Amino acid sequence: MNGALLIAVGGLTAVGLYLVTGRSLSRIVLGYSLLGHATVVALIAAGGPAGRPPIAGQAEPEAMANPLPQALTLTAIVISFGLTLFLLALARRQRTITGDDLVEDDLEDRRIAGPDSLPGEQEDQAAT
Amino acid sequence: MILGLLVLHVAVCVLLAATSRRLGRNGLLVGAVPPAVTAVWAATRLGDHQPESADVAWVPGLDLAMTFRVDAFVDIMTLIVSGIGFGVFVYAYGYFAPSAAGIGRFAATLLAFSTAMLGLVWADSVWSLFVFWELTSVTSFLLIGHKNTDKPAQVAARQALMITAGGGLVLLAGLLLVTRSAGTTLISEMMPVDGATATFGAVLVMVGAATKSAQVPFHPWLPSAMVAPTPVSAYLHSATMVKAGVVLVAVMGPALGGLPTWKACGLAFGVASVFWGAIGALRHRDAKLVLAWGTVSQLGMLITLFSVGTAKAALAAVTLLVAHALFKGALFLVVGEIDVRARTRNIDELGGLARSMPIACTVAVLAGLSMAGAPPLLGFVAKEAAIKAALALEGPEAWIVGFGVIAGSVLTVAYTARFLVTVFGPGPETALAARRHALSLPAAVLGLAGLVGYAALGPLNGVLGPAAARLAGAAEVSDLHRWPGLTLDLGISAIVLALGASLGLVLSRRLGRVPVEYGARWTDASIEATMTFGRATSARLQHGSLPVYLVTMAGTAALAALPFLGYVSFDHVVAWDTPLQAVLAVAIIGAAVALSFVGTRLAAGLALGAAGIAVAAVFVVHGAADLALTQLLVEAAIVVGFVLAFGHLSRSFPRVGLRWRAVRMTVAGLGGAAVVVGLAAASRSPVAAPPLTEMATASVDEGGGSNIVNVILTDIRALDTLGEVLVLATVALGVLALARASDRPEGSAS
Repeated sequence: MNGALLIAVGGLTAVGLYLVTGRSLSRIVLGYSLLGHATVVALIAAGGPAGRPPIAGQAEPEAMANPLPQALTLTAIVISFGLTLFLLALARRQRTITGDDLVEDDLEDRRIAGPDSLPGEQEDQAAT
Repeated sequence: MILGLLVLHVAVCVLLAATSRRLGRNGLLVGAVPPAVTAVWAATRLGDHQPESADVAWVPGLDLAMTFRVDAFVDIMTLIVSGIGFGVFVYAYGYFAPSAAGIGRFAATLLAFSTAMLGLVWADSVWSLFVFWELTSVTSFLLIGHKNTDKPAQVAARQALMITAGGGLVLLAGLLLVTRSAGTTLISEMMPVDGATATFGAVLVMVGAATKSAQVPFHPWLPSAMVAPTPVSAYLHSATMVKAGVVLVAVMGPALGGLPTWKACGLAFGVASVFWGAIGALRHRDAKLVLAWGTVSQLGMLITLFSVGTAKAALAAVTLLVAHALFKGALFLVVGEIDVRARTRNIDELGGLARSMPIACTVAVLAGLSMAGAPPLLGFVAKEAAIKAALALEGPEAWIVGFGVIAGSVLTVAYTARFLVTVFGPGPETALAARRHALSLPAAVLGLAGLVGYAALGPLNGVLGPAAARLAGAAEVSDLHRWPGLTLDLGISAIVLALGASLGLVLSRRLGRVPVEYGARWTDASIEATMTFGRATSARLQHGSLPVYLVTMAGTAALAALPFLGYVSFDHVVAWDTPLQAVLAVAIIGAAVALSFVGTRLAAGLALGAAGIAVAAVFVVHGAADLALTQLLVEAAIVVGFVLAFGHLSRSFPRVGLRWRAVRMTVAGLGGAAVVVGLAAASRSPVAAPPLTEMATASVDEGGGSNIVNVILTDIRALDTLGEVLVLATVALGVLALARASDRPEGSAS
């Protein structure tokens, strides 16, 4: 395992989590994207040490990087790309409808919960 | 046959539910068919000592099966459930006006209850017993709340559901413990158990039974349930459903009877209910409530007798069970007829009914005498047997049971006398509506059955005896007697009748005050507290704020990494393969942090691009050329998309409160740390070196390509890659649809 990449994964995860727990849809998309980066870097780091590109004939097999995690990672990149694009489209739609990109509370749930029962997030409400 | 009858019930039930509007009141006659068939079947089996069983595998892997068994005792219960059920369906046909609302629904629900109740008494596996137990609670809830615009009916239905279904959960816990120590889930195969687990389980089972059979202090739901239409009160809340607890105590007796806590709890619930129920019956002025409180008292008597566990007590209890179903059913049906024809049930407003309703009066007197335990009726035989059983006991038990039976009987005679005198005796002349045959016939049949039972005691011995023997685990049970001769029991019986009758006559004109519902207040408070707790919990857990949900989930997931802390090892962790990786790691984290701090969306988009490029560089360093290429393409597309989607929003991000931001940061930091811990723990078991030479050779020879990653994707995992393409195509369609839609702004859009 590669220490530098391990730290990078931790940092990406932390910042990504911080962003997705916000109220702004654009930041949620950003955070989601960072979480995707964290995942692919983790996959690569866990798959073995760095090496020459795994292309037969261009490098000695012993010097190559492990190709299997690379194949899996490629899938991960593509799928997270698809989801990010879809999120972006949803966010744009939301902006068209509400004129803003904030995630609203579920009105039905708020009605059940009553006016003053949100644990911890009151300041968020007050500030916006 | 068992399964066939269940299927018949369910099929007719579905039919009724589907055609409820078209059939209307006639649905009740259709619904009477399955109980009639079942009752005939049960009647032909009477005296047949060979139990019949059937089972349906449910989840064979978990040893779960719907197991049913009909033995001598269960057969009697079947006859009660289906026979009275048939009568009640016919009675309900007369009880409701042809135009009354929701009769079709009522018929379907009543049959659903009948089905559930049969399943309950037939169940041999404790799990099927529990399922049908809760089903009866639910159908009872629906039937009590039948008038769904009536506020008291709704409150009563909810109360009944809370107590009986809650008791069902206690029962489930008890059954789990008991089956654990018994080693079987089949009631018929349980051997006597002992030990701490079984002792605790027995208490829970007894509490479950007490909630269902309305024993003190769980009784208030039963009087409240009297807001239901009278057919429901007669069927569910006197003859059958409330007997479920009694049946449970009866059938679990052989296995649990040896535990001291079982008997102690049973006697405590039973004797307390005998008295409190009878006192309630003496004080109320609504004829239906008098009967309901009387039911609480009689159920207490049954629980007492069944938990004693001797053969004599079991015989007395089975006899009383049958007698009670007959006389209480008849009395409820008579009160319902009075309610329909006189439009009141208040005993102060009723009078002269002996003359104006002669048939109802005769039936009520027959049933009342049976309830009071006077000859020549089945109730007399039952009470004689109960007194005999109590006298045969020894030690403190004899005193408790003897006191409960004898003093309880005095009070029973008293409230019976008061009921008959105040309802049918002299008083203000009550105006009556026309007679309906469907109302009086079932009541007359039930009332006469007590007389017939007394006359046909010989054959009845052959039916009740084996049932009691099965419950007491005894080989032989003494016979019931039509006339005991001049013995101590008869003397006690005579004194009981004389004392009770005079007490009842005195009290019939005295007690004017409607009693305070001590128990009811207690139950109401606990139900209210449960509701408040439920509201507060869901308000706290289901607050509707997405960020708070996410923080909760992320925090919980981070805590899940705690167990891995012990496995963290840095033996196989190297600082870096090349120093360049460290530089890139710093760049990635820097870009990410910048991304979270910049104030405008455009700058954030650029920072996102920087982070993505740094990740691509990591791939390059790692030797993953294809990944780097893909990453760059993807990153470019995302940055463009981001700017397209949010570029128009010139406003910076909304400001967020400091404290909430600190909470988010903490959770995010914990999440990042958790991932590091998990990966470091995983690195303790390093993978074997990949067979690179073989992969390179195979890639060229078999895959026909030199780029191994591409060969894996297009050759080895071709199907997965096809799926991936489908995902992307679906996303593209979705994005297209959303983008098209936003060309036409709606609502308050700018």
